[in-house]
Amino acid sequence: MKESIQALRHEIEAAIITDLASVEQFRLSYVAKQGKVNALFADFKQVPAEDRKAIGALLNELKDLATDRWKAAQTALEDQLPAGDVPQDLSLPDIIGRVGSQHPLTIVRQEIIRIFSNIGFNLSEGPEIEDDWHNFGALNFPDNHPAREMQDTFFVARNPDMLLRTHTSSVQARVMQNQKPPIRTLSPGRVYRNEAISARAHCLFHQVEGLYINEGVSFADLKDTLYYFVRELFTPETKIRFRPSFFPFTEPSAEIDISCQICHGEGCNICKHTGWVEIGGSGMVDPNVLSSVGIDPEVYTGYAFGMGIERMAMLKYGVRDLRLFTENDTRFLRQFAALG
Amino acid sequence: MKISLKWLSDYIALPQVPSDNAQTTAEIVAHQLTQAGLEVEGIETVEQIKGGLKGVVVGQVLTCDRHPNADKLSVTTVDVGGEVPLAIVCGAPNVAAGQKVLVATEGALLYPSEGEPFTIKKSKIRGEASQGMICAEDELGLGASHAGIMVLDTDLPNGTPAATYLGLDSDTVLEIGLTPNRADAASHYGVARDLKAILNLPITKPSAAKFIADGSALPVSVQIEAVEACPRYTATVLTNVKVGPSPKWLQQRLGAIGVNSINNVVDVTNYVLHGLGQPLHAFDLSKVRGRAINVRFAQEGETLVTLDGTERKLNVHNLVIADEAHPLAIAGVFGGLASGVTESTTEILLESAYFSPAVVRKSAQVHGLKTDASYLFERGTDPNMPVYAAQVAALLLQEVTGATIATEVNDVYPAPIPDTEFRVSYTKLFRLMGVTLEREQVHQILRNLDILVQEDSEYGHLGFADEFVVSVPAYRVDVTRLADIAEEVLRIYGLDNIPLKPYPSASYLAPQPINENDKLQFRTGAQLAAMGWQEMINNSLGNPALAELTTTQGLVRNVLMLNALSEDLAAMRQSLLFNGLASVAHNINRQQRNLQLFEFGKVYRLQDPEAEVVTKRYEEKWQLALWSTGQAVPETWQAASQDQTYFLHRQAVQAVLFRLTGQTIVPQALVGDDRFAYGQQWLFNKQVVCKAGMLTPKLAKANGVKQTVFYAEIDWQYLIKKYKTGLQAQEVPKFPAVRRDLSLVLDRAVTYDQVRQVALKTERKLLTDLNVFSVYEGANLGEGKKSYAIAFTLQSAEATLTDQQIDGTMTKLMQALGKELGAEIRS
Repeated sequence: MKESIQALRHEIEAAIITDLASVEQFRLSYVAKQGKVNALFADFKQVPAEDRKAIGALLNELKDLATDRWKAAQTALEDQLPAGDVPQDLSLPDIIGRVGSQHPLTIVRQEIIRIFSNIGFNLSEGPEIEDDWHNFGALNFPDNHPAREMQDTFFVARNPDMLLRTHTSSVQARVMQNQKPPIRTLSPGRVYRNEAISARAHCLFHQVEGLYINEGVSFADLKDTLYYFVRELFTPETKIRFRPSFFPFTEPSAEIDISCQICHGEGCNICKHTGWVEIGGSGMVDPNVLSSVGIDPEVYTGYAFGMGIERMAMLKYGVRDLRLFTENDTRFLRQFAALG
Repeated sequence: MKISLKWLSDYIALPQVPSDNAQTTAEIVAHQLTQAGLEVEGIETVEQIKGGLKGVVVGQVLTCDRHPNADKLSVTTVDVGGEVPLAIVCGAPNVAAGQKVLVATEGALLYPSEGEPFTIKKSKIRGEASQGMICAEDELGLGASHAGIMVLDTDLPNGTPAATYLGLDSDTVLEIGLTPNRADAASHYGVARDLKAILNLPITKPSAAKFIADGSALPVSVQIEAVEACPRYTATVLTNVKVGPSPKWLQQRLGAIGVNSINNVVDVTNYVLHGLGQPLHAFDLSKVRGRAINVRFAQEGETLVTLDGTERKLNVHNLVIADEAHPLAIAGVFGGLASGVTESTTEILLESAYFSPAVVRKSAQVHGLKTDASYLFERGTDPNMPVYAAQVAALLLQEVTGATIATEVNDVYPAPIPDTEFRVSYTKLFRLMGVTLEREQVHQILRNLDILVQEDSEYGHLGFADEFVVSVPAYRVDVTRLADIAEEVLRIYGLDNIPLKPYPSASYLAPQPINENDKLQFRTGAQLAAMGWQEMINNSLGNPALAELTTTQGLVRNVLMLNALSEDLAAMRQSLLFNGLASVAHNINRQQRNLQLFEFGKVYRLQDPEAEVVTKRYEEKWQLALWSTGQAVPETWQAASQDQTYFLHRQAVQAVLFRLTGQTIVPQALVGDDRFAYGQQWLFNKQVVCKAGMLTPKLAKANGVKQTVFYAEIDWQYLIKKYKTGLQAQEVPKFPAVRRDLSLVLDRAVTYDQVRQVALKTERKLLTDLNVFSVYEGANLGEGKKSYAIAFTLQSAEATLTDQQIDGTMTKLMQALGKELGAEIRS
């Protein structure tokens, strides 16, 4: 008996289990009721009483061995897939679905809004077909003043004049008219200039203007705010400088330059080898503007700034031709798929 | 505005730098001016002769022999100051040994008087080497003569640059983008004045001390009728004028800044205009009837032939310079032809005046005129300048035309314009600037700008007074308030000298109203992008005729530009459709045929032309539109491509509408929209909020697209207004749902929507969802039949459904569908 057990033990240990079929074969041979282990149990009756304890233990051990091997083999083979279930060539090309994208101007606009809402600016909107007063009059562009020539204007009606707003400052005029200071708001939107379409000019573009009016707002505050902004929108290393300029609605006024994002100040075609590129205009809200919208310039001061979103996008993404933004060539748009 | 550095140097000593300095004088000056508010947009070198005759030198012909192979050519050796003389083949008949000549050496680029520029190269002419060219006048661009080489009478050593021999000189010109407020800097003297303040250097004005009138003529009487329009008018008479060409220096001065020389009289007036910023006008005195000037507004009906030969109808906005009878000139804008200076003029009346900026601007606008004079007058000239400018001009006329200064400057200035005086608080000044300076530094800057500063008399000397008084010269029309003083101080102090803080600070943060429009546009856009759609931004201007392509628009509702760039950009879009279609066409023309595009944009219509509030006359609404065409699913090794269908297009539409309304709206049949071949519309609050379908092939073709295009238009404006953010979460179902499928054979005319409605009506409680998973039509179904395989989802909130309940419900549904829609159930 002992010898039979020993032999079967060797047989079980030596059994080769490689796949589901051999597992089943093993089960039928050793684990099943009709299997060889159970057959030995049948012989157990003939074992003399004095040996039964030892032989019984051996038999049980053998049975456990068969069961354990069978279970272990089963578990091991759970992760083994049928041959047909394994792809033959994993290097086949990607199944590419339709790749969508948000427009670069949307992406940049949203980024600008995020940056300014982080420092407490809210948003305001206004009409694009605007009256003369909100676009010019309230903003200290007197009638018959050369300053009006700075912005070629599309008119849609005369007397009273209705026009396509030339800047989103018209929204600021409306906000100031309708709200009491303090005011801290950002107005993004579409603006129009009567300019022929080229790589560098367009009859339509998008602007974002910011306005902060409160007691004691200073030019230094303006500088700090814009410095924060350009480092957020571009890179933390971005430098900023201000050049005195003229806008009817601000005094003092300044144009804003940042270190060229292409050459980082080394000098290149984009910055005309100056290392600086202009990004917009800014200044302290002109006292005449405050008066015209019913805010006391003796009590309140404020700053305002404005920038072209196209300009930001061109600098940020190295876009060289303004027309790309409205041609909607999907080969251009697709490039921004990862940014939305 | 062009500013010549040479001219500028007449008034101020510009910083000189060694030639190996990193920055040239021009660059330094340009930078300083730019940082102080006079933006230099370009620096240009102006040569008297194009190319400056670089590489052309004085030489001496050492030997001159006949060319062995050509009768008309000579072979010469020429000393050009080098170690070895040059061998030069010359074709000029007058060349001879011993002559001093001008030699263009190898590499010199010549701009001949006629023909293309060319570069001198070493060459062989008929077998003889030639290392340069002995030049004739026309070859150098010096004149028209080609009679022979120029033979010089000079002792200059060989090798001396031709520019030196000819006394040629180059000038550097700055292009300044002058802002409209800085009329004071619209001249060379004005720019020098700013440089004085920036560099803290003295400036000098041309002297008028030698102005002495000999009294040989009677003064011209001057009457100013319109004193407000013309606060100051001066008239000076010059006799014995000989009109002719200007001397070279004057021509060069004007030429450098791009002003053509006309004759010596006009050139002097232009010289003073660009030099001192005072426009002048010279009348032929013999044409001034009655030797009298009257400055008045024109009367209706009066006309004037201006210097350009155009007869202009004058109106009451035109201030004119008239004699006793008729207008002679439009004041400050344009002279008259009849009283203009001609070659036969011998006596001139020199006008130097100050006109009201608003009057000149209006007057020039009436005729659409822009002249150098009107440019200056309408921005504001210096009322204190006319007499001095007249004297300077008279002296110049004396010098260049031989004129006699016959009268004093007859100055009529009934109400002198005072300097602007106002008080400035240091506290407010420094608070506005955000930086506190030493008071003395403020005074110093202002003094350099010719702004007088007086400390408040009571306490000022003790340094306690917070206010000081400034007196601003009248030529600074832009400096009238504290804010202007802040600008003056800052632009000279340097905006960049205000220290930057690393973080912005504010004592007020605005509350953030939930601006759903902006946020939702961005989020919806992101969602569409994730679904494979690309966002476009199209022009909001388009061709007005597009509105005629559909009855949903119409010409009468167009918002038209009164001054359009072109017909294609003459109207505001009434829908996003057409400009989007143009982009579709643009892409298809570039082999991008499979498109899924969307755009958020405003659309514009004339609403009520009579509305009291002018902005209400127009309607501006946000719209979202979607275009798709070509394949919806590209071909891959796993599956064949799938063409875009209305139903795939509608998937995106439904996703957007669900986001905005929080519900799935079942679309209805489209009514009255001729843009679509077929389509549907969506109602929300009984309002049509969306239309979608296939565009008619005709409409697509009219916009350059031959492919099938699906389009959807969503009334974003309305849906945003109705958008609700509130949401209460529901419990998730506790009991399982079961699915039962039915295959219904229906008449073709029966719609799924009918099936859905009958089913929902029949089982209001347990039926939670229906889904069509197969649509089939085939001969085996019978004529006019179709089959829909539909999965019904049943679920109870109270308990797990029993087989009995499920079977009962399905039987009920089958009976209702059979009875109401004639549906047969296939097994």
